Parts: sequence; C-alpha cells; structure tokens
Amino acid sequence: MTDTTDAQPAVSESSLLLFLDNLARRDGANSEFVAALDTAREVLLSELDSSGPFLTVLMRTQGRRLEPFKDALLCLAAQSSTDFEIILLAHGAEADDLVELRHAVDNQVESFRSRISIVEVEGGGRATPLNRGLSLARGRYVAVFDDDDVLFANWVEEFLIASEVGHGKLLRSIAATQNAAPETWPQGELGFRTSTWPNAAYAKSFDQLDHLDVNHSPFMSVAFPRYLFSSLGLTFDEQLDVCEDWDVILQGSLTLGVHSIDALTCIYRRWEGGSSSYTSHSREQWMRSEKRVIDRLDNAPQLLPVGQIARIRDRRVYITNNNDEAARQLHEIHISKSFRLVQRIRHILARPRQIVAGAKRRIKAL
Amino acid sequence: MSQASLPSVDIQSVIYLNDPSEIVRGAEFSANSARFARSEGLLGDWRLVLGDCSPEPVLSADDQQAIRDHVEKAGGVLSYRHFGKNLGSAAGHNALAEGGDSRLIVILNPDALMAFDTLSSLLGAMDENVGIVESRQIPVEHPKDFEEATGDTSWASTACALTSRKVFDEVGGFDSETFFLYCDDVDYSWRLRIAGYRVRFEPAARLFHDKRLTSSADWPASSAEVYYSAEAALLLAHKYSRDDLVESLLAQLDLDRDSGVIRAVAEYRRRVATNTTPAQIDADHSVAEFVNGNYAVHRF
Repeated sequence: MTDTTDAQPAVSESSLLLFLDNLARRDGANSEFVAALDTAREVLLSELDSSGPFLTVLMRTQGRRLEPFKDALLCLAAQSSTDFEIILLAHGAEADDLVELRHAVDNQVESFRSRISIVEVEGGGRATPLNRGLSLARGRYVAVFDDDDVLFANWVEEFLIASEVGHGKLLRSIAATQNAAPETWPQGELGFRTSTWPNAAYAKSFDQLDHLDVNHSPFMSVAFPRYLFSSLGLTFDEQLDVCEDWDVILQGSLTLGVHSIDALTCIYRRWEGGSSSYTSHSREQWMRSEKRVIDRLDNAPQLLPVGQIARIRDRRVYITNNNDEAARQLHEIHISKSFRLVQRIRHILARPRQIVAGAKRRIKAL
Repeated sequence: MSQASLPSVDIQSVIYLNDPSEIVRGAEFSANSARFARSEGLLGDWRLVLGDCSPEPVLSADDQQAIRDHVEKAGGVLSYRHFGKNLGSAAGHNALAEGGDSRLIVILNPDALMAFDTLSSLLGAMDENVGIVESRQIPVEHPKDFEEATGDTSWASTACALTSRKVFDEVGGFDSETFFLYCDDVDYSWRLRIAGYRVRFEPAARLFHDKRLTSSADWPASSAEVYYSAEAALLLAHKYSRDDLVESLLAQLDLDRDSGVIRAVAEYRRRVATNTTPAQIDADHSVAEFVNGNYAVHRF
C-alpha cells in the first residue's frame, strides 16, 4: 500500500486532523482555542473506534437487473472478511421486481442473510437512497456498491487492512473495467455476456489534482469514514442528476485525504447496448452536474493534501513553458520559407473560390 | 413428484491442504444450494463427498461436525474420506465417484462457493443428451465462447460442473493416467462429445471462485500452473492426434527458460521415451479444438 502524499508517517492522519494539529502546535496559539481543537479531534477519532461493523455497504438497486444483482450478492457473500453489513436500497422497484429481490436475499446462506437489511425508497434521484442508507449505517466506514458490478474476495479485507494505516482517511483501491452486453441466457433469464478481459483502466493510486479534472475512481473503489457524514455533515447531493459519486469523493478527499491501496479489488462493468447512468442521462445533465460539483468546491476554502502546492506550481511552470514553446514554434512556422511559399499558393488557389462566391451573391441579388 | 423419482446428486470435492475454514464455508454454500433445489422440487437425495489428498486429514472432528450440520440441515449426507496420498484431481474424483450411486455428480473445487440457485440452474440444463453442464465463474469469468441459445461450448471447466454418472462411467471418468491437475476436464469434455453428448455452459449457474488479478489486471500464474498447464498442453495435443501441434509446441517450449516449463517438457519426453503417452484418439479432429494456445474459441 502507498500513501498519495510524500513524507508521511507509517500511520497517517487525515488531512483535517493534520490541519487541526498544525494550528494547535503554533507558538502562541490561544490555549482555549487549542483545547477546543483537541476536543474536536477527540470527537472525530471516537467515531473511528465506535462499535458496530467495520463497513456498511450501501447497495442501490431498482430491481431491473436480477442476474447481475445475484452476481453482486454472491460477491459480497464470498468476502474473505465478514466484518460488514449491507443496506440494500430498493429504489423505486416495481412490486414484481421487489418480490424477486427479496427472494434472492431470503435464500442466501444464513450467516450472510442476517447482515442484509432491505430498505424500500421511493422518489428522488440517484443520491436519495444513499442518504437514506447513511441514516441507517452503523459501520465505521461506508462504501457504495451498485447492483451490476463485481467484487474480488479481498474487497472488504483490503479496506480493513488499509484503515489501520490510513487513519480516518478515504480508502481507495484499484478498479478494473469489463465490457458486458445484455443477452438472453439458455434457460430464458435476462442475462448478459462479458466481452473483454478486466482492464486496469483507472489510475493505480489516487491523485487529488487529476480528480479535479475528472473522476478516476469508480464508487465501489472507495470507502469513506462514516464520520465524514455523521460528524462533518456531508450528504449525497440530491440535486445532482449524476456525478453524486465524484462529488463525495472530491469533498471527502479534500477534507480527509486519501490512502491508496495497491490491490485490484473490484470490476466496474461497462454495459454495451443496455441502460446505465451514461445512457439514461443527457449530456446537459452531465454538464450541469459537473458544474454544480465544481462550483460548490470553489465556493468554499479547501484543504489540499501535503505536497500538492509544489505540484500545482510544477504544473503551472510546465504549462507556461509549453505555451512559450508553442508560441516560439508557431512563430518559426510563420517566418519559414515553406510557409510563406504555401501562403502565396493558398492565396492564388483561393481566388477562383472568391470569384464563384461573388458570382453567387450577385445572382441571388437579382 | 416423489422424492425417490427426483435426481440424486453427489457433490464431490478433492481437498489438498486447504484451509479447513474454506471447506466449511464451501459446504455451507453447497448445502444452501441443495436446500433450494430441493425446495424447488428439482433434487432428491444428495451427499457432500469430500476426498482428502493431504498427508494428514485437514478437517478436525469439529470441522467435520460443522460441515455435517450444514449438510444435514439441508437434507443431505456427508462423506469424508482421507486418501492418505496425493492422488491429484482426476484420480481423486474417480475414486470418489467409484463409491457412489447417485444419478448425477457435481465436480466442485473445494474453495468455490455456489450461489443459492446454482444447483437448480445446473439441473435445469441437464438432459439425456447432455454430458456435462458447467457453471459460470466470477469474479474472473472464463473467456470460452458459448452458443447464446443453447450454451453449447467446446469444453467444461470442472471448477463446478454437473455430469451424469451414466456417462461418467460410459467414458471411464477422468483420464488420471495422463492428467494430474490440469486439462483433465478438457479431455473429459472432448471424450463426452466424441461419445455424442453435448457440453453446455450455463451462465445462470454462478459460482464464486476466489481468483485474484494483479494490480495491472494480469493473471498471476503459479509455478504449479505453469508446469501442469505446459505438460497438459503437450499431452492433450498428443492424445488428440495433433502431432503437428506437439512438434510446434516443443519447438516453442524449448526456447522457454522457465524452470516449470523445462521440467514439463522433460517429463513429456520421458513419457515418449518410455512409451507411456496416452493412446491417440479423435484422428479426424472432429472434436478437439486448439485455437491460439486455447482449447476453444475465446470471446476475449
């Protein structure tokens, strides 16, 4: 496992706790202020040591994809660590689909079934069931695993191990992608067929600056300390049509930092020819959601992880140098003999087009 | 339908130095799948039949009792046998099958987990024309191609597969003289097809087989996998009358400096020299498929 920031101790604290510690350590800091910071620190840490399972898994489903859902349940049942609970959020599921969901859950092995709660949620968008799930979660960490993706057996275990080191941070493992297309199976089920080998398409470790551009972390690759929601008040933004995952990953990572796990633990299925958030929402909805995510961050001060200021400067210098280099190359092109020669030819070639265009305008004016 | 007229099943696993907790967990999942199949009226009597190839029995009395509790709660019977020597997968399953009388047999990896409806889906895909039905493994799916409407495929992996005892006996079970660990299932499937039976892939019969990939999503091949798969590739090509392929494989493997590959090639040449290679079959190449180093067309 590696930390995304350099020069970190073996057990690294979250960005917020480091920030509070830095304030408290300043010479001349007001003692009452320091005591208040210590209290805040204790409140946060106490939630990390609270009773309850290590992880709460929030699983959203609309009950429309029973076969992938059964895969997802089996992946959870097969975890090497069983220190987790599942809140199955049946969001707007039709009555018949709900019966199938309950049937699949009721027939799990007892040791697994006893850790699943089914919650019916009506109305709202993609974030609505997640907030409902949060209100019921008892785990020290929370992860979101949707009903059509795949987990390796070490998914929970790797988060659990990492939580000992990345103390109070977001935990982020490696995800692969795999293409799949809907297909009817031989006994009539609405199934699918995978068509590619799992591809480690996402970044191996979390990069805060890259994530400001675009989300490089599928939802289930991240586990969030629950105090991010319960003590620090973060919620899933129900005004967002999409990008609710990117939103909490950015807000969470900028508040607490991220501990990267060097292990592949999950597969994000890319559906070809079926429906997904990519096909069910318009380009305008995506753009509107992206803007809302970034606007929120820009409307408040943010904490950057250790080492990011130098990286921002390096990036700026790189861009400036590249811009200077691009300007120099453009100038050289303009003053080159070949460009000037071609420019004359271009001018000559353009003449007949100008003549024709002029003739057309004159004819239209008649 | 009365319980007696429903198909009986032996679920067989060969154990070799597995973690006992894995075996207990696997038994819990298998028993749950059998319970569900019985509740659906698809399964009659069933047994969980474990053959232990470890030097010492891996299951303590408590482990056995825990397994027995799961099995009996689902209306089944546990049979646990310690072989006292490492027979390998093929001979181990043959030995377990020899002592049974169920109508159907499930060959199952001891560390694999059935879903609640896996056995029902396998049973639903079985008929008198089908020799073997294979489960779909997750999280790493096998890339073998299969017919969409029928599930027909080149061969069936025995990580979890249902076969009938009648056809198992008819073709003589697994070829344990030739295959120790790998490709015994490829060979079994192809001999079933030569005998006129279908080999089916049943995607609804899901199975969790705890395989993991590297952080770059590559397959981390173990040294045993390298050795046995190289040896099996040569033996399979020989057995299915592809001398041309044996020649090209040898030429290719002779360039490989991996110690497992070198040992596998040496073992194959020893077999040739001692005349202990299997008799050749499928002379007209009607069944065996050798495609880009695989034994089927792969979809990826």
